Amino acid sequence: MAQKRPAEARSDKLFYYALIPFASTAFLIILLTLFVLTAKGLPALEFYGLKVLTSTRWLPNEFDPEKAVYGLLPAIAGTLVTAIIAVVIALPLSLSLTVLVEELAPSRVRDILSSLVDVMAGMPTIVYGVWGIGFLAPILAPIYSGLQSTLGSLPLFSCEPTGGFSILTAGLLLAIMIIPFIFAVVKEAYRAIPATYREAALSLGMTRYEYTRLLMGMIKPAIIAGVLLGFGRAASETVAVALVVGNAFNLPLCIIGPGITVSSLIANQFGEANLYPLMQNVLYLGGLVLLVLGLASNFLGILMLTRVRVRV
Amino acid sequence: MEKAVTELKPPLEVQIRELRVKLEGREILKGVSLSAKPGAVTAVMGPSGSGKSTLLKTINRLIEYYPGVEVEGDVVVGGVSAFEMDPYLLRRYVAMVFQTPNPFPHLTIYDNVALGPRIHGLAKSKKELDEIVRWALEKAMLWDEVKDRLNDYPSKLSGGQQQRLSLARALALRPPVLLLDEPTANIDPVNTKKIEEAIIGLAREEGTTVLIVTHTPQQAARISDYIAVLYEGRLVEWGPTKEVVLRPRHEITRAYLKGEI
Repeated sequence: MAQKRPAEARSDKLFYYALIPFASTAFLIILLTLFVLTAKGLPALEFYGLKVLTSTRWLPNEFDPEKAVYGLLPAIAGTLVTAIIAVVIALPLSLSLTVLVEELAPSRVRDILSSLVDVMAGMPTIVYGVWGIGFLAPILAPIYSGLQSTLGSLPLFSCEPTGGFSILTAGLLLAIMIIPFIFAVVKEAYRAIPATYREAALSLGMTRYEYTRLLMGMIKPAIIAGVLLGFGRAASETVAVALVVGNAFNLPLCIIGPGITVSSLIANQFGEANLYPLMQNVLYLGGLVLLVLGLASNFLGILMLTRVRVRV
Repeated sequence: MEKAVTELKPPLEVQIRELRVKLEGREILKGVSLSAKPGAVTAVMGPSGSGKSTLLKTINRLIEYYPGVEVEGDVVVGGVSAFEMDPYLLRRYVAMVFQTPNPFPHLTIYDNVALGPRIHGLAKSKKELDEIVRWALEKAMLWDEVKDRLNDYPSKLSGGQQQRLSLARALALRPPVLLLDEPTANIDPVNTKKIEEAIIGLAREEGTTVLIVTHTPQQAARISDYIAVLYEGRLVEWGPTKEVVLRPRHEITRAYLKGEI
């Protein structure tokens, strides 16, 4: 049965139309970014072909683009690997933090912890970067040497560590940086579980551990969403990573050695890229890869979040 | 040192002795004494805020999760003080059903019912677990409606069916004591009737000690053997249902049964 919507008042309609240009600005900016990155990136793809995405070498040439080799693969792989390391480390920590804050800590400790995590989220990323250089990398360097001398037969630890600047260091630093984001998503969902489920679980004689696990299962879509949003953030982080990743054009096969990510590549190279024909276009292409990756993980993450809202 | 209780032998009588409960300084129960017999249904009645839910949640010690709670007096289950028992063990024997149907949305019908037995390791095999699940669903008068779709999620059930699923989940522990906090408050008459039948069946056939909080005198008259009336945290009347309904001794009971308070 088709139901007729009641006619809207004229002023409401006007108000609605008046908002459209403002509300659509953000969306237009994303479209515009996509357009610019595509337009500037395509020439590199046209000139070098798919090799620009699959080559592992980076040999710029100031005079002849034919002689230059630009391969984004180490950077793209580096971005993925550092972001995955970050998520794998940050997820259990965020879940523990959620349980600690929501279930175990007395309310004062809980408030202090929550605000501390908020401060973590708001800290300028360069602060994490210099902390990584000044503290994290130096204390990790001897550990990496130890790993290499004991587990060096494994490809993951087979390379020469260079003063603690490595894929793994970048991943660890990113983990610390994305904890607040995963925590925020998971904590909100956990807190939104109606009290009656808590009581139902407890009334069955579940211990705190058992019922926390059960409730975490209930908000699984939110946990996945948190992971995806955290991944998107880790993949796009620039300054902090550029400072600790080592910036070497290596495939991230050995995680205790230096590598590179797309964002650190762009940050490091863009300043002088205008001196090399087509190098800027290659970097734009990298930017496009990053944007698509970020949009995809954020989109999926938000999709999961709407699922948890429907269910709980 | 006293030996820790690891097991209770049903049937279990519940004795509430001079129970006082404060929540954040406010006295909710002001010295309530009452007992509930095995094989009988005791209806706990009284106007909103008289402490009925608090009474129930003190029996299985859920009340301890509320902020600022102080408990005095005692709850004795099967001769043992509830406060001297491991609360997780206590809740194995004292199950509870709540006002809102609350089956876990991410678990299937089967897994909801199997949850308690799995946690407490009550089934030695899949077959045994299947039997417990079937028994609980039958006792909750839900088996015929869900036996062909045990792997569906509860969202596919109606509200009344979800409440019977919540009942089945509680029953899967084969609890000698069952607490029900207004289980039919949000449920249609057909489902209400089934839940009432299930409750009577449990008391008569299983010898379960049933305490049910209800707002409707008709329901209390239909299913209960004893009625206890709470008013402002005190027990104002307690006796066999017929006597309380026909010859209430207290003015407050009379007014309450007439729907005046």
